[in-house]
Amino acid sequence: MSSKVTDQKSVLVDLTKCVGCGSCTVACKLWNAQSFQNPQTNEYENAHGVDVQLDSNTWTTVEHKKVNKDGQEVWRFVKRQCMHCLEPACSSVCFAHAFHQTEQGAVQYDPSVCVGCRYCMIACPFDIPKYEWEKVLPSVMKCQFCSSKLEDGEAPACASVCPTDALMFGNRDELLAKAHEIINNDSRYLNHVYGEKEVGGTSWLYISDVDFGELGFPTNLPEKSIPENVHGFTRFTIPIFAVGAAAWTGVSLYAKRRHAVAHEGHHAEEHHEEA
Amino acid sequence: MEKHKEQENKGMSRRRFLSVMAGAGVVGAATTMTGCRPVSDPSGIGWLPNQYRNASAQPVQVKGRVPLDPANVSLVRNDEKCILCGQCLEACEKVQSVFGYYELPVIDEFICVHCGQCSLWCPTGAIAERSDVENVWRAIQDPETVVVVQTAPATRVGIGEEFGMGAGAWAEGQMVTALRMLGFDVVVDTNFSADLTIMEEGSELVERITHGGVLPQFTSCCPGWVKFVEYYYPELIPNLSSARSPMMMHGSTLKTYNAQKLGVPYEKIVNVAIMPCVAKKFEASREQFAGLEGGAGKYYNDDTVKDMDYVLSVRELADMIREKLDVDFANLPEGQYDQIGSTAGLIFGNTGGVMEAAVRSAYTLITGNEPPAALLDLQPVRGLEGIKYASVPVPGVGDVKVAVVSGLANARQVCEDIKAGKADFHFLEVMACPGGCISGGGQPKTAVPPQNWVREARTATMYAHDKAGVINGSAAGAGQMTTEKGVLNLSHKNPQITEIYADFLHEPLSHLAHDLCHTHYVDRSDSLIRK
Repeated sequence: MSSKVTDQKSVLVDLTKCVGCGSCTVACKLWNAQSFQNPQTNEYENAHGVDVQLDSNTWTTVEHKKVNKDGQEVWRFVKRQCMHCLEPACSSVCFAHAFHQTEQGAVQYDPSVCVGCRYCMIACPFDIPKYEWEKVLPSVMKCQFCSSKLEDGEAPACASVCPTDALMFGNRDELLAKAHEIINNDSRYLNHVYGEKEVGGTSWLYISDVDFGELGFPTNLPEKSIPENVHGFTRFTIPIFAVGAAAWTGVSLYAKRRHAVAHEGHHAEEHHEEA
Repeated sequence: MEKHKEQENKGMSRRRFLSVMAGAGVVGAATTMTGCRPVSDPSGIGWLPNQYRNASAQPVQVKGRVPLDPANVSLVRNDEKCILCGQCLEACEKVQSVFGYYELPVIDEFICVHCGQCSLWCPTGAIAERSDVENVWRAIQDPETVVVVQTAPATRVGIGEEFGMGAGAWAEGQMVTALRMLGFDVVVDTNFSADLTIMEEGSELVERITHGGVLPQFTSCCPGWVKFVEYYYPELIPNLSSARSPMMMHGSTLKTYNAQKLGVPYEKIVNVAIMPCVAKKFEASREQFAGLEGGAGKYYNDDTVKDMDYVLSVRELADMIREKLDVDFANLPEGQYDQIGSTAGLIFGNTGGVMEAAVRSAYTLITGNEPPAALLDLQPVRGLEGIKYASVPVPGVGDVKVAVVSGLANARQVCEDIKAGKADFHFLEVMACPGGCISGGGQPKTAVPPQNWVREARTATMYAHDKAGVINGSAAGAGQMTTEKGVLNLSHKNPQITEIYADFLHEPLSHLAHDLCHTHYVDRSDSLIRK
C-alpha cells in the first residue's frame, strides 16, 4: 500500500508553542463544512476546551489540559486528529477497502464503499475513527489530512492557520530532522519525537516538554506497525481457508459418493427383489 | 417440458438471480481491490479565507486568532461565527502589545487584559462580551432589591449610535429615561465618582509631589491598563495611583453612604454599571472589591457583599432596550440623573480627559485659586495622538509635567522610557483603548475595525458639552440633597462632592476614604515570561 506514497508529507506539532486559540479546529470545520453541533446531543460545542472529544462531525480537537510541570500546574494544549500512520491499521482491516493512502501519505477514507462494520475503529491504536451513530445508514468519519489541499501543494487547513507556528507542515524527513534539531538545542524538550517510531511511524509528529502520557497520548505502542505485527498470523488466513475449504470439499465429495453408492446398492437390491 | 415453461413465465429463476448477484459481487470486489473507481472524498467541501489557500511554501501574513480562555470573565467567542480573519490578533498584538509579548510555552493563564478591542475589531461578532443581561433582569424583577445603575461618561456619546442617531450623538437624557423605563430604581452618574476620583487621585499626586513619593504617578481608572502593568511591569506597580476607578469608588460609596442616605439596607442594593468597556467586568470580579477585602464588605464586616454586582457594556444596554422597550429611542424625553457629575468628570471618557480634569482641580488644591482659562481648554492633552506631553505652570511648585497615552502598545513604549530613566513627567494618564473610553471595547461597533472619524465625533461631542459646562442632575434619588442644574466644569466644585466629604468621608485620603476609594494591586508577572 505504502508503495503508492511518493511524496510523504507531515505536520510537526510543537506542543510548547500552542496557545490554545483553537484556530486549527475552526479551520477544520470551515474547510470541511461541518457544523458545531454535537451529532448526538445537538448542542453547540466548540472543538477546543477542557472537555472536548472527536466525533463524526469534529475531526480535530484541541484539549486544554492542566498538567503538572516541575511542581507547577501549567496549561498545555493538545491537538488531536488522525495521525495518518505510514502503515495504517484501519486500512489493513478494512475488507471493503474504504481506506487508501494518497501520494502525500494521507490515509483517506471513502464512505461510499464503507459497510459500517467498525473494524477500523477497533484496529486504530489512537481511537480516531468515529461512527455516525445518529444516522440510519452510518459511516465512519475521520480527518482526511485535507487530501485535496495536499494534492494542490497546500498545507492542511489546520496547519495553514496556526498563528504561533506550533503546527509546521512539510516533508516528513525534513520535519523529523527539524524536530531532532529543536530537541537537541533546547533542554526543555523531552528527547522523543512522538510519531517517529510509534506503530511504524505516523505522518503527524509531536514534540513536547511534558510527558506524552500525561497529555493523553498512548505510550505503550509497539514500534512495529500493526499490520506488520499481525501479519505473522494473518498471512495464514488464506491458506487456512483454502485448506479448510479443500478439506470440507473432500468430506463433502466423500459423503456424496458414499450416499450415491448406498443409494445405488439399495436400487440394486430393489431390482433384485423385483426380479 | 410444461413444468419448465411455467418456471420461465414466472421471470427469473432462483439460480439465475444468485448467479447475477454473485457476478456483481465479484465485479464490485475486483474494482474495489484494484482501485478502478472514483474515490468519494468527504473532506474539502467547505471554504477557507483566500490567504490560507496558497502553496505551503508561501508564508501567510495574517493568520489565526487570539487565544481566549473559555472562562474569561469579560469576553466570549462563538466559534460558529469565526472566519479566522485574524483581525483580533492584529488588535491584540499590534495595537495593545499583549499577544506575542510573552514567551512560549504559556504558564497557567491565557494572557488577557480584557480590553475588548478584539471584540470591536471582530467583523462577524464572534467575539463579544460575556453577557450579564439575564442577571440584571433578575435583579430588576426581584421586588426585594433596589437596583442602582450608574452610567460611565462615554456611554452617552455611544448609545445613540445603536439607535440610528449618528456617530457621537449626545443621548444622555434619552439613556436616563430608557433606564428608568427598564425598571432601574436609581440612576446615578459615574461623572460624580469621576469627580470623587479627582479628589482622591489629585490629593495623592499633590502628596507625592510635596512629600517625595514615587513619581511619575500613573492613573488607575482603566482596568485594562492596570492589569497590563500587573503582568508586564510589576516593578512600576508603586507608580499606580492607589485610587480606585470611578466605577469602583461608586460601588462602595453607593452601598454605604447612599444606602444610609436612602434608608435602604445595603444588602438590598444591587449595583449595576453601564460601561463603554468590558474590562470593567473583570475589574468588578477582582477579589479586592468583594467580601472583607472590598469597601462595603469591610465597612459592614460582611463577607458576602460585592462593591459592584453587574457590569453591562453599552451594547448590552442597547440589547435590553431593544428587548423590552418598543420605543423610538432618539425621541425619548430627556430624563435627569439622581446625582450630579461635573463636566470635568464627563471628559474622563476621552484620552487626556482624566489628566485635564485632574490638572484643573490640582491647580486649586495646590494654589487655592481658581484655574486659569487655559486649563479649561488644555489642548496639548486632547486629541487622538497616542502619546502626548504637556507642561502646566503652577505657582508655588513650578511646571507640572504630564504625559497622556492611549493604546497599550504606546503605553509599553512609555513604560520602557520610564524604566530607562528617560521619563521627565510627574503624572501619566493611560487608557488601554486608542482614543480612551469613547472607543472602549464595550462601545457600539459603528465602524469595524474602529475608525478615527467615529472616535473624533464622540470626542467632539464630549468636549462641546464640557465647554458649555452644563450638567444634568438632581438630588433626591441617590439621597443627596443638593440639586444643581447649571454650569459645573470643576470636580472639586461639585456640591455633592463637598457633601460626601462633609457628611461621610471627612477629607481626601482619610481612613474611611482609604477603605472605600482606594485599593491595591497584584503582581501577575509570574503568570508569564516577558519577552
